[in-house]
Amino acid sequence: MRQPMRRAPLRPSIALLSAALLAGGAAAQALPERLAACAACHGAGGAPAPLANTPTLAGQPPVFLENQLVMIREGLRDIPAMKGLLDGVSDADLSAMAKHFAEQPIKPQPGPRDAALFARGQQLADGNRCASCHLPSYAGREQMPRLAGQRDDYLLHSMRQFLNGQATGRDTIMAASLHGLKDDDLKALAHHLSQLAP
Amino acid sequence: MLKTLARPGVAGAAVALALIGCAQTGSQAPTAAPPAAAAAPQPAWKQGMPSSMASSTLAPLAGKMTVTPADQIPVNRIKLPPGFKVEVWATGMPGGRAIAAGDNGKYYVGTRGIGRVYEVTDSGGARTVRTVVDKLNQPSGVAWRNGSLYVMAIDKVLRFDGIANNPNAQPVDMTAAFKLPKEQHHNWKYIAFGPDGKLYVPFGAPCNICELPSPEYAQIRRYNPDGSGMEVVATGVRNSVGFDWHPQTKELWFSNHGRDWLGDDTPNDTLHRMRATGLNHGFPYCHEGKTADPDVKKANACGGVEPPVALMGPHAASMGVMFYSGTMFPPEYRGALFNARKGSWNRTKKIGYDVVMVKATPDGKNAQIVPFMTGFMNEADQSFWGRPAYLLQMKDGSLLVSDEQLGAIYRVSYGG
Repeated sequence: MRQPMRRAPLRPSIALLSAALLAGGAAAQALPERLAACAACHGAGGAPAPLANTPTLAGQPPVFLENQLVMIREGLRDIPAMKGLLDGVSDADLSAMAKHFAEQPIKPQPGPRDAALFARGQQLADGNRCASCHLPSYAGREQMPRLAGQRDDYLLHSMRQFLNGQATGRDTIMAASLHGLKDDDLKALAHHLSQLAP
Repeated sequence: MLKTLARPGVAGAAVALALIGCAQTGSQAPTAAPPAAAAAPQPAWKQGMPSSMASSTLAPLAGKMTVTPADQIPVNRIKLPPGFKVEVWATGMPGGRAIAAGDNGKYYVGTRGIGRVYEVTDSGGARTVRTVVDKLNQPSGVAWRNGSLYVMAIDKVLRFDGIANNPNAQPVDMTAAFKLPKEQHHNWKYIAFGPDGKLYVPFGAPCNICELPSPEYAQIRRYNPDGSGMEVVATGVRNSVGFDWHPQTKELWFSNHGRDWLGDDTPNDTLHRMRATGLNHGFPYCHEGKTADPDVKKANACGGVEPPVALMGPHAASMGVMFYSGTMFPPEYRGALFNARKGSWNRTKKIGYDVVMVKATPDGKNAQIVPFMTGFMNEADQSFWGRPAYLLQMKDGSLLVSDEQLGAIYRVSYGG
């Protein structure tokens, strides 16, 4: 079943937001307030995400966003910084949030490209057939997320979770797809994908 | 870790690695591949993908995890034979699959990814829905016996006594007695009590195609209701998620999903009749009772393999099975078998997305497959809006059909 509640150290901005959300009653919030709350960690319009290890939401497939929001609300996907933030939010509001972020421009801010690491990442992505689900453009589709232009550190963080069995409530196919890769491989993949133009 | 299988040329050295556990002899030289990729076995849904399909973008289809209001369900697109009609009977159950009828107008509906079991209360004119239990690992198995609801997830078995009268009934955890194996893939459940009072439970192959990592997979078992007395009743069954008992012979008939990545037309999903316990149905060496697997090989692969009653379409996702024993439908439907086909993903042109009728003699001969409920998929543009998954006959002889895509249940009736 589910893991016990984890006391995660919240960044101040999140802690304040959490308090505000809980005090005001998350379920009673209007959509603009809700979206503003998301912006603190994910960026205005869901991009670019200003915080480390935090995903850009803009330009993601709406089905992917909707599925993840439901899994987080249900407590099936465990993200300490988001625990409780979606309690009581209706399906319709989650769908509206997903649609909103899917329609926003992605605004990638890749760092400088390391040519050797980029090439190594491409080789790994080809060898592991990442494009068969995420598409050759890595734009993602349906339940499978966009990878092109995502934050480098979030891609690495997320792949480490899959590989280490910490991606609770997420796609078991992804965990199997990364099996056997080393941390240096994940770094190369993350660098490559983050550098791709959306 | 599983002994997974890759076909020659799929991922270079991964082939050599994966073959250690397999009875395959590849004749093609492995092609060059990045060394780091070599350590990664294919995920189960991709095992057996040939090099010719390596650039395929076929992938499992997305589920929908949010409530679909009744007025957003295009039920008028459903097509049925003359004289039948269909209505949205209940909705608001994202991921709803198998339906078990309880007492007091209660029905219980299992799910996979969203982790919930729903209770539908039918007060005649209207239905209400609530969640009985959540946060489970794919609790798709639901069954009802003597006032108790049985729920089976991949890694848990729960019994809710008296829940139709007491909404707060707390579950009895029966997991230990059932000794569930550890692999998860294809080990979500369909469960049902047979005429012998035993609980029938399938254990799928934990891969697309592989030598089994241990013998407790690719089989159907039955248990006493408390989990004791386990007996394996069928082997070589890749992934059955639907069965029912013939109204005359009381024999078990079950559906089975065929493997992926052998092309659009091979192999078929199959419908089987269990004429005796302990028979072998072929997996992984033999499909459809007649087709040797090109990847996992053995001599005389189909020798002694029980043939299917009917071929249900390649990759069609043959799910719920139900013999019609009511009197509401016309005489030609009585004793016929209905099968919900959730619809294909591992095929360039979609098939399934319907409910078909299978007419066969009680000994499983002369099977004919006739379309019954269609209109969920548009062949012209390959779009779909619904995926019929499971069937339940109501007391009045009408038919409930669950739509796993929209989290709704439709009621099909005749006349009136």
